[in-house]
Amino acid sequence: MDLTGSHILNADTNRIWAMLMDTDTLARIVPGITRLEKTAENEYKAVAEIKMGPVSGSFSGGLTLQDIREGEGYTLHVKQSSKIGNADATIRIDLKPTDEGHTELVFDGGAKLSGLLARTGNRVMSGVAHTLTKQFFNNFEQEIETV
Amino acid sequence: MAKITVKVNGKVYSHEVEPRLLLAHYLREVLSLTGTHIGCDTSSCGSCTIHLDGQSVKSCSMLAVQADGCEITTIEGLAPSGSELHPLQEGFKECHGLQCGFCTTGMIMSAADFLQSNPDPSEEQIRHALEGNFCRCTGYHNIVKSVQWAAQKMKEDKAVTA
Amino acid sequence: MSNKYIGQSVRRTEDKRYITGKGRYTDDIKLVGMTHASFVRSPYAHARVISIDLSAAQNMPGVVAIFTGDDIKATGIVGVPTGWQVNFKNGDTMKEPPHPLLIATGSTSKHIGDPVAVVIAETYAAAVDASEAVEVEWEELDAVTDPFKAAQEGAALVHADAPGNLAFDWELGNPLSEVDEAIAQSAHVTSLEFVNQRMIPNAIEPRAYIGHYEEHIDKYTLYTSTQNPHLIRLLMCAFVLGLPEHKVRVLGPDVGGGFGSKIFHYTEEALVTWASKQINRPIKWTETRSEAFMLDAHGRDHVTKAEMGFDADGNVQALRIKTYANLGAYLSTFAPAVPTYLHGTLLQGLYTTPKIHIDLCGMFTHTVAVDAYRGAGRPEATYLLERLMDLAALEMGKDPVQLRKQNFIPAFNGVSEPGYQTQVALQYDSGNYQGVLDRGVEMLGYENFRQMQREAAQNGKLLGVGFSTYVEACGIAPSAVVGALGARAGLYESAQVRVQPTGKVSVYSGSHSHGQGHETTFAQVVADKLGIPMEDVDIIHGDSDAVAFGMGTYGSRSLAVGGSAIVKSIEKVLEKGAKIAAHKLECAEGDLEYAEGKWTVKGTDQSVSFGDVALTAYVPHVYPQGLEPGLDFSSFYDPANFTYPFGCHIAVVEVDTETGKVTLKRFIAVDDVGNVVNPMIVDGQIHGGLAQGIGQALLEGAIYDENGQLINGSYMDYAMPRADDLPMFELDRQETPCPHNPLGVKGAGEAGCIGSTPAVVNAVIDALWSGGHPVKDIRMPLTPERVWRAMQS
Repeated sequence: MDLTGSHILNADTNRIWAMLMDTDTLARIVPGITRLEKTAENEYKAVAEIKMGPVSGSFSGGLTLQDIREGEGYTLHVKQSSKIGNADATIRIDLKPTDEGHTELVFDGGAKLSGLLARTGNRVMSGVAHTLTKQFFNNFEQEIETV
Repeated sequence: MAKITVKVNGKVYSHEVEPRLLLAHYLREVLSLTGTHIGCDTSSCGSCTIHLDGQSVKSCSMLAVQADGCEITTIEGLAPSGSELHPLQEGFKECHGLQCGFCTTGMIMSAADFLQSNPDPSEEQIRHALEGNFCRCTGYHNIVKSVQWAAQKMKEDKAVTA
Repeated sequence: MSNKYIGQSVRRTEDKRYITGKGRYTDDIKLVGMTHASFVRSPYAHARVISIDLSAAQNMPGVVAIFTGDDIKATGIVGVPTGWQVNFKNGDTMKEPPHPLLIATGSTSKHIGDPVAVVIAETYAAAVDASEAVEVEWEELDAVTDPFKAAQEGAALVHADAPGNLAFDWELGNPLSEVDEAIAQSAHVTSLEFVNQRMIPNAIEPRAYIGHYEEHIDKYTLYTSTQNPHLIRLLMCAFVLGLPEHKVRVLGPDVGGGFGSKIFHYTEEALVTWASKQINRPIKWTETRSEAFMLDAHGRDHVTKAEMGFDADGNVQALRIKTYANLGAYLSTFAPAVPTYLHGTLLQGLYTTPKIHIDLCGMFTHTVAVDAYRGAGRPEATYLLERLMDLAALEMGKDPVQLRKQNFIPAFNGVSEPGYQTQVALQYDSGNYQGVLDRGVEMLGYENFRQMQREAAQNGKLLGVGFSTYVEACGIAPSAVVGALGARAGLYESAQVRVQPTGKVSVYSGSHSHGQGHETTFAQVVADKLGIPMEDVDIIHGDSDAVAFGMGTYGSRSLAVGGSAIVKSIEKVLEKGAKIAAHKLECAEGDLEYAEGKWTVKGTDQSVSFGDVALTAYVPHVYPQGLEPGLDFSSFYDPANFTYPFGCHIAVVEVDTETGKVTLKRFIAVDDVGNVVNPMIVDGQIHGGLAQGIGQALLEGAIYDENGQLINGSYMDYAMPRADDLPMFELDRQETPCPHNPLGVKGAGEAGCIGSTPAVVNAVIDALWSGGHPVKDIRMPLTPERVWRAMQS
């Protein structure tokens, strides 16, 4: 499943970068995440609750930041498992400053699903991914406004 | 555990059940009414269709506890009192509307509810009414004929009693 | 003898239990002390088991035992075998990697759902809960699911000892050089590259097994939703668990459909049987539909390039085929035979094609096994031939009906005229191919249709007609022939006819019924042959302790082979009965004739009834000297040849030019399945086959993603035909008797599924050509999107 898109956020690149590198902020803005713990440098343990159409479940697993380019972006590797199947996603994130203190966040990657999640969830997954992405950016914008 | 009381095929039962127990499993495992079959896990196949308070319901799509206080008819209790068979049961035999028999009980229960609301259906209406019940053996051809046969029989029976 | 039942649409005697909910399927059976099993399965198509942690699961409430692949490995049980051996072209034995019951640590899963452990618990819910608590650490590996891609360099490897993922390569027919030359010299060559997609059988009853070991009698009982209890017993005892057969009883109770998928010996059958002894309690396992999608052997899955050469007059000169057949990860019971001896051997079709060559690669992939699914190889052969025929007609501007007729093998009855020897190993028994085509065309109203089609095209509506004429091989099969072709079993059938002292008859058949109506059809045959009422006949099947032996029900063989075995036993009953009757009537046996349930002295009114003779056989006070008491005979019937049903299927479709949606307006099927015992049941078999064949053309198909995940593994995603997807079918039949079995019957179980798929696809292609879209192929299933795209290209 492909995960690609972009969004312009109302903050400068430095601020966005700081937010993306902050565990507490990430836990607040990533949809479904209920817990995010740092386990090592750039490695986190994540617990998420996600409901997607006919399948819902509690996911747990790791989140790793790779290929960190200070102020420009990184590659996010998420590996989650659950009773209903596993998800393995690799997403490259790039930040590009645009005019007047805005930042364009571009993401490009894909996710591999397995188990029941793949078998019965696949039909609704691209819709779910779209919804989750929208939620992520809504949350991000709210976070920018409130902090 | 939760206590439920249901009336099934005219008989009242009370049982302590796990809250997650599906009605289909309750009928099969607890009451040993194994004529209600389970053919899938997505409430798609219709093999487990029963009547709940007179309406056809897929018994895998509800919990036993949700049926508390309800009146249930399964295939074992479908034939009207005094008759050996319901007209649909006769129709399925007469028109070879079944082969392996696994979907048949659910198919008959769905059709029975349908004929109550539409006693004189067209072929198209029958096909539409049964699209929630899978059959892999018959290609539905003789199932449609069976339902038509039963509708005719029920009409004739009604004319006789009227 | 009488003629009261054969040929009549007798209503089925088995129906009463089914329509009243009293059918007894395996999952309906409860045994005292019964436990329940749930499997821990691989979520990946290809992954190594690094470790298994049972600690959490073991302490869950209700857990009785947990077994892993390491436990099985320690017993020395290797796995389930395949029943057919195909050799490489160079004579080497095919690759036959083991198919373990459970994957051991360090080994790899080879398709999604491959099991690593089984949890046995007091209740089904407890077993599921605990199986979810088993922690498996996996190392995910690359997978390959497409048979053509599996053959390419660098493809992920399924088995280390099968390089290139090749299980075997295989060829059949005339020398390739001769076929190449004939193609090169052809005036017109129609070529087609296509996929015959993977189908999921989807019997509505999911597989269910109960293993029950009883220590006090040292005996195992396996209740199984199978098409052939004896074959399961043979495979499981002799090749998997090493058990003595007389200590194992296999029961096939009511079985809710099979369509091939319940022929095969599955790992779970052996596992519940084995584990039952370990815990000394019965164990039930019933698969979920989700498991059924993943694990019941799939069907078809060929990637093919086919070329058919014609001379300038449209006479077929040659056929050349290259096919990659997907076998899945493990070789299932009949898997190697399906793309080879049940497919390659049918490529003559009904045509006089003088030169034929097929080259085929049997491929391993990271998918569940592919094996016989209704038709098994013959639908693939028919699809190939009949698509080429209709396409060639379009390309050459010829009429598809005329093109077939000019290439048909002329009619032959197999008695006064010899059978037809094909270029691909078989000898057809009898046929009259033009007869079925003529009747189909008549039912269609062909002339009128073409007129309607032209008018519709002018009004922006696309109508199409598709033809398909097929011949298939069933009634499998002569043991010596299949043995020479690699079968590891004989394919005869057994039947015992036990006449009870009161003249009632119990028949024990090795053919297992799972919807085909044997209890009725067999009883019709027995009642007529003995001249007694059908009510006096009982058919018993599905119990390895009651029935001598059986090869089961598949390949449209039950009446042709199993029915013939019954007839043989009846002949023995009548022969002995005549001796007893002659003694009672004080005449010579030769003076007697048997009819309407009694022996009569010819030309007199002196007779003795069947019941009298039966009683005398069991109360032999006044009895022929030296004759054994009793009236009870067993027979084994080994057919002399396959039987070859044939037919003509015609589809009429309308294609919506805006959306690409195909509506099947009419479906005509004229089948010749030899003599017919019960027309109602035969029609029912054809109907069901048609629905599956049409389902393949328009709706169905398994979809694995590139990682080997089955992404449409549920009824919400796999489009099985529903009541409102299909029209009423228009059926007729022709009866050309089979010349080599006593009933003259051929077989009807698969015919509908064999002929119908290409008829529908041909109809859509015809519709598109009529609208000015000369497309050669649309990949099945013909979804609106695919048809719409084809119209835009």
